[in-house]
Amino acid sequence: MGGLSVTLHIKGLSAMRPGRTILHPTDLSLPAGGRIGLVGPSGSGKSTLCHALIDRLRTEGIAVAHVPQSPEEALDPLRRLDFHWRQAERALGLAPDLARQGAILRALGLEGRPLNVRPWGWSRGMQQRFVIALALLARPSLLILDEPTSALDPVIAAATLELVEAHAAETGTTLLIVTHDLGLAAARAHRLLVLHDGRIVEDAATGDLLDRPESAPAQALVAHRNWAELPC
Amino acid sequence: MLKVDRLTVHRGGRAVLQDISLTLQPGRTLAVLGESGAGKSTLVAAVLGLLRPERGSVTWNGAPIARGGSALVMQEPRAAFNPRLSLRRSVLEPLRAKGLPDDPKRIARLCDGLELDPACLDRRPYQVSVGQAQRLGVLRALLAAPPLILFDEPLSALDAMTQKHTARLISALQREEGFAALIVTHDLGYAAAHADTVAVLRAGVIEEAAEATAFFGAPQSAYGQRLVGAAVSLGALERRAAA
Amino acid sequence: MKQITELLLRAAVVLSGTAIVTFTLLWHAPGDPALTIAVARYDSVVSADIVDQIRAEAGLDAGFWTAFTHWVAPLLSGDLGNSSVSGRPIWPELRTAILLTLPLAFIGLGIGLAVSIPLAALAVRHPGGWVDRGAVALASLGAAMPAYWLALLLILCFAVKLLWLPATGAGTARHLILPSLTLGLGVAASLTRILRSALLEARGAPFLPALARRGVGPRERALSHVAPHAAIPVLTVLGLELAFLLEGAVMIEVIFARPGLGGFLIHAIQARDFPKVQAVVMLTALVFVAVNLATDLLYRLVDPRIGARDA
Repeated sequence: MGGLSVTLHIKGLSAMRPGRTILHPTDLSLPAGGRIGLVGPSGSGKSTLCHALIDRLRTEGIAVAHVPQSPEEALDPLRRLDFHWRQAERALGLAPDLARQGAILRALGLEGRPLNVRPWGWSRGMQQRFVIALALLARPSLLILDEPTSALDPVIAAATLELVEAHAAETGTTLLIVTHDLGLAAARAHRLLVLHDGRIVEDAATGDLLDRPESAPAQALVAHRNWAELPC
Repeated sequence: MLKVDRLTVHRGGRAVLQDISLTLQPGRTLAVLGESGAGKSTLVAAVLGLLRPERGSVTWNGAPIARGGSALVMQEPRAAFNPRLSLRRSVLEPLRAKGLPDDPKRIARLCDGLELDPACLDRRPYQVSVGQAQRLGVLRALLAAPPLILFDEPLSALDAMTQKHTARLISALQREEGFAALIVTHDLGYAAAHADTVAVLRAGVIEEAAEATAFFGAPQSAYGQRLVGAAVSLGALERRAAA
Repeated sequence: MKQITELLLRAAVVLSGTAIVTFTLLWHAPGDPALTIAVARYDSVVSADIVDQIRAEAGLDAGFWTAFTHWVAPLLSGDLGNSSVSGRPIWPELRTAILLTLPLAFIGLGIGLAVSIPLAALAVRHPGGWVDRGAVALASLGAAMPAYWLALLLILCFAVKLLWLPATGAGTARHLILPSLTLGLGVAASLTRILRSALLEARGAPFLPALARRGVGPRERALSHVAPHAAIPVLTVLGLELAFLLEGAVMIEVIFARPGLGGFLIHAIQARDFPKVQAVVMLTALVFVAVNLATDLLYRLVDPRIGARDA
């Protein structure tokens, strides 16, 4: 099951707020199993685009899951982890299945941890992995990671991303990494979309975009891409 | 010169900092790297003299750091200001505390250096952008010209482009003013670009301390290697293609 | 476990503090208590002998600490002592009074909850809408209106003009309607405001949008997530509310001339029957402490973070 093995084509995605357009009509094509970075400064419309994309894919019957940047945005601190798991299963119309649960948790390095605790009984890094595990339960064709490193320590964030990418590669899931940090997107994605003022101003393979940014916003991002280069 | 000598701090019967020794020369930048819970914020509090260490000492040129001898730039720029006061009043606070007169020329010069429109000073914290608020925080810290400035995750609330711009402005001012900067951060890219020396803190202990170029070229401790590896994998540091 | 011991210890400190303060205040009250007792008991001019005799009998001549011990020692074993006026034990009379007041207090609380929960739930459906503004206005009006004024208004309307209900007295269920309505509307006013803001805050919880995206329906989000979060602030206030209910009931009983704790206390004060007054004060303190203890424990049940953080 898992991903459709074809490219997702989305046409004319847009969003309006009373009086103004916050996302101009946008066409996207997301190749199955690809890793795509959506980059833009704060206020450029990244979350608007994500929400519009989720709504659109849902109405077309395509499974899509979203991982917010911090576990506080995904888990109720008063409810235990097993409650969250069962609730997500119910929402998807799935019967409880311990084998499936074990497989997903193992993929994220969470096997053997008791789930009968509340989220804050785990470290934040582990909580974030649990949130990703919940997202994978839906066998999404597209998994959206919203600022996947900003709430975690780098060592943990890097390890988590590697696990997710390995799982996505195995299942043919498309990953969309949403971030303000071109350095991060460039390090993880094959293709980059640059968002500026509610418009996709550039859509190119990562190497091409870094070498030859065409639009002014992309040029600014590239100029500020790295802190430093290491001698090696 | 800042000298932290065998500093040990206990909290709730547990050592959160153990035998920390560091030095920092005027005009230089020391980055203390480590993950959350490593004891970075405790180190900042100890250097500011806000808590009593179990053992060890923090001195500037051999004497305990007096009030006004250091200043702090905080992580959450807007939360660092009293929301009910104009930014001008908050920014002038260090001068008032030292009993010094208002210094419009210095303010104008610092605003210029930080690319701040002086009109910002007449607004309230929530009427300026996060980036402006953080530069105002730097302005406040610099105004009374303390020899030592501590930066506690000064850029983590800003977006990637603003981070780099702000860091460059701070470094330029440091060259003019000559203060010593102690930066606490988990952003290795920032440290690689702007620090002269680094100290890696883990679970209250210094795992590694070195010149920045030496550390980023070849970290010695296993944990230092993991930190650098993670930063490379997240695109904060980039290995230069072998020539 | 350690926390529970600590809570119990705190309760004990509050109770003993109340005992000492109450006794000190009454001991230093102006006038000669022995003389007052004598007048109350014999209702005529009394001789100095009788006053002295009463003084000795009530332990009033032996100094503060002796008199205090005289009172506290039996109290520890649950004996509230005897009335200084009638000489009869206080407890049976007090128990009758409590049993008359309890229905009023509980019906009042019931009305308060029955009005405020649906009202607050309706109000937060569209924050700032006309239902919300109406609810806030009603609640503010209710909170601004003193109980005695509302009581008089209700009496004027339902007893004097419409002749539907008795104005004062007790005995039948009909006598209970106006007093419990007065009490209940007061409770409803303060609870509505607290419930509304608690619900509004809980509805803004950061994890709710993620639940919606995960496909969790609005009904389950409201019942399994918003309600428990809203319950936390309400629980604190509900504890205080229960204790204040007792106080409100006492005042309302006096207005409606209902027998109960209110009448008991007023008569005791007028007769300077100190043991009775002390008994009521200690009982009130006990209710406050017990309710706070219960809230604290309930709190930990709803939000285990509280217990975890102290540990």
